[in-house]
Amino acid sequence: MKGIVKRFPGVVANDHVDFELQAGEVHGLLGENGAGKTTLMNVLYGILRPEEGEIYIRDEKVDIGSPREAINLGIGMVHQNFKLVEPHTVLENILLGLKEPAFILNLKDAGDKVLEISKRYELPIDPGARIWQLSMGERQRVEILKALYRGANILVLDEPTSVLTPPETKELFRFIAQMAREGRSVVFITHKLDEVMAASDRVTVLRAGRNVDTLHREQLDKTKLASMMVGREVLFTLRKSPVVPGERVLELNQVTVMGDKGFPAVKNLTLDIRKGEILGVAGIAGNGQRELTEAITGMRPILSGEVRLYGKEIHSESISRRIEEGIAYIPEDRVGVAAPQGLTVAQDLVLRRYREKPFSSGVFLNQHKIDNNADTLIKEFNIMVSGKDAPARTLSGGNLQKLILARELSGKPALIVAVYPTRGLDVGATEYVRSLLLKQREAGAALLMVSEDLDEILSLSDRIAVMYGGEIVGTFPASEANVEEIGLMMGGSLRKT
Amino acid sequence: MTIAVPVVSLVLGFLSAAPLFLAVGVNPILAYRQVLGVFLNVDGLTESFTRGIPLLLASVGLCLAFKMNFWNIGAEGQLFMGAFAATGMVFLLPDSSAFVLLGSMIIAGFIFGGLFGMIPGYLKARLETNEVLTTLMLNFVAILWVDYLVYGPWRDPEGFGFPLTPMFPPNARLPWIPGTRIHAGLIVGLVCAGLVYVFLARTKWGYELKVTGESRLAAKYAGIDYLKLTLLVMFISGGLAGLAGMGLVSGIVLRLRHGISPGYGFSAIIIGWLARLNPLAVVPVSILFGGLLVAGDALQIGLGLAFATSQVFQALILLFVVGAEVLTRYKVALTWE
Repeated sequence: MKGIVKRFPGVVANDHVDFELQAGEVHGLLGENGAGKTTLMNVLYGILRPEEGEIYIRDEKVDIGSPREAINLGIGMVHQNFKLVEPHTVLENILLGLKEPAFILNLKDAGDKVLEISKRYELPIDPGARIWQLSMGERQRVEILKALYRGANILVLDEPTSVLTPPETKELFRFIAQMAREGRSVVFITHKLDEVMAASDRVTVLRAGRNVDTLHREQLDKTKLASMMVGREVLFTLRKSPVVPGERVLELNQVTVMGDKGFPAVKNLTLDIRKGEILGVAGIAGNGQRELTEAITGMRPILSGEVRLYGKEIHSESISRRIEEGIAYIPEDRVGVAAPQGLTVAQDLVLRRYREKPFSSGVFLNQHKIDNNADTLIKEFNIMVSGKDAPARTLSGGNLQKLILARELSGKPALIVAVYPTRGLDVGATEYVRSLLLKQREAGAALLMVSEDLDEILSLSDRIAVMYGGEIVGTFPASEANVEEIGLMMGGSLRKT
Repeated sequence: MTIAVPVVSLVLGFLSAAPLFLAVGVNPILAYRQVLGVFLNVDGLTESFTRGIPLLLASVGLCLAFKMNFWNIGAEGQLFMGAFAATGMVFLLPDSSAFVLLGSMIIAGFIFGGLFGMIPGYLKARLETNEVLTTLMLNFVAILWVDYLVYGPWRDPEGFGFPLTPMFPPNARLPWIPGTRIHAGLIVGLVCAGLVYVFLARTKWGYELKVTGESRLAAKYAGIDYLKLTLLVMFISGGLAGLAGMGLVSGIVLRLRHGISPGYGFSAIIIGWLARLNPLAVVPVSILFGGLLVAGDALQIGLGLAFATSQVFQALILLFVVGAEVLTRYKVALTWE
């Protein structure tokens, strides 16, 4: 790809970007959110048309007008948000859009072919399973099989590890290596430094829509890559000041919570958090962390046990009552829950606070105060946005999370429940979010932080609790944490209670 | 663009109806003149306003429900319940002053329409039933309930067996503009459109409605009580449709009868969408829509067209206007392959 230029209203997403991919190579495409990585690959896959630039495949100039043409050229892409039809089966999804089953579906032959591919690449899957029944890792496998079934020689993976557990990530890397050994090529889009270093033969770094450099495996160095990506030095260690934990803020006693599937997702769980303390909850996604946080914030009723805030029972209180009592909540789903995309930035900035004075009095809203609040917070938290009346959907991932934090932290919360607070954020935004959480700890808030990033848990927490199968299988001070032990506990093979 | 698209789509709609007129042996030019004439003479215009009143009231109510993604297809039924309740007040208080009687008719019409709207609201909030089905089905309940009354206990003994109640006394008739059929319901409708606009733009409920329309989970996260909000919104939405029914019996027909509404509650859905759920925009759209209904009548009376033919004509116009509305939201580019 030579000199690719793609403009969107107000931004140049790709500014004369060059990109070269060799056969049998795993090529990491590294950059912060909004650096233009996905845009570049969407151009390759025919989703976007570049304003300038040329694409050559095997030295032949091509014009890729649609994903179908890209597929015909042997290009496959697995998007960050999977494009699967959830009520349909794996096999139906793989065949969707193909011309080959012209009228009558020969499901058996197609199924055999899928199984053959899945065996060859050790990507086990049940072709008859329905997508909604599958974990995110399995869904990704379906997407990969879909591309392989269409004969992809060039496979583009957009942020493939963001939905995977550590063991699944390992599996993915093994598969990527196998692809390369067979002489096929893989483009691996990411902003995670460790992963790009572990998996790639070469790395191209993009920043603000421009090429920074392309490095060979032996030239890779974490600090160098990070500064190339961000454009300045990045601190990998956070300054954490000592805080003496104060009185007990949150207390859970023998709490059992029902999960969506009709089984208890949290079982007899007991924990407490004090003022000025961060409790990091480690664990593989789906072991009850979500249900635990929802029970504390009121999104989900508890089956038995008690939840206390400053000694007062709150488990039967409404969500709005808990907000008033100072529970801030940074949920996992930013787009669908924490910051509705169709509302304006100003409206989203009072989402959980519009009942309070001065934002409303009686039944009427005070638009003037809501606007002032937006101006103040946009400035204070450095949210990049075209204006307070812009819809939230125009914000990038990092800025959306800043917006959510701005709102949740501006009310002097007593307890902050943060779920995957830095998931999907780039290095700069991650650094900022973490520093905000630490500042709240110093200000005397109690924090419960769920994360799948062990580094994050280790560097931020005062105490660590590991969850497995809806239970806490171990709690210890962060200073005594042992990464191997935590890993074993997350996998369910060690218990220390 | 926003002006050009509806105008062009209207013209195309007219042109597409030409074969229809030719097929039934009518000169299309005459037919067009007949239709446009509605908007060019006083009678046609005032009648457009008259027909626009129930459309306006019902549609303004629907804006509220639709804004929170509650698909109320039941305005027709809520309208019938309002008409029923208003008529009931005439039977209960036949001798009270016009002020008391009309006041109680308005209140009863609103409350019964509203309560009838709250049923599917409650069912959805509590049991997750699909409101499209429940509101749609409840239409038949309300329409048939009114049929039962006008064919049975409320039938006018001197009505030669027709399915209608006795004529209302003068104290049950809404004030009207002499020489026309425009009644005080128009003022009620305009006031309600203004109130709903303020409700949406300036109140906490309006904000809650917008959040809920965006995402129910987000609303829950914000601490919004979905049950309470749905009941409130459906009470108002149904209540406004009920007022439309009250206006029909008390301002136009002056009795309750079989088929009191020819589907105003359904047309109100289209109007709401054409007005992009903006209650102020609903006002002109309702009146234009009223004009389209009058034009249908004019074709029947003036040119002797069959009822069905005029309906096909109206449908064609709507099809083009609604279809073209999509175009105003996207940039259209013609590319050469």
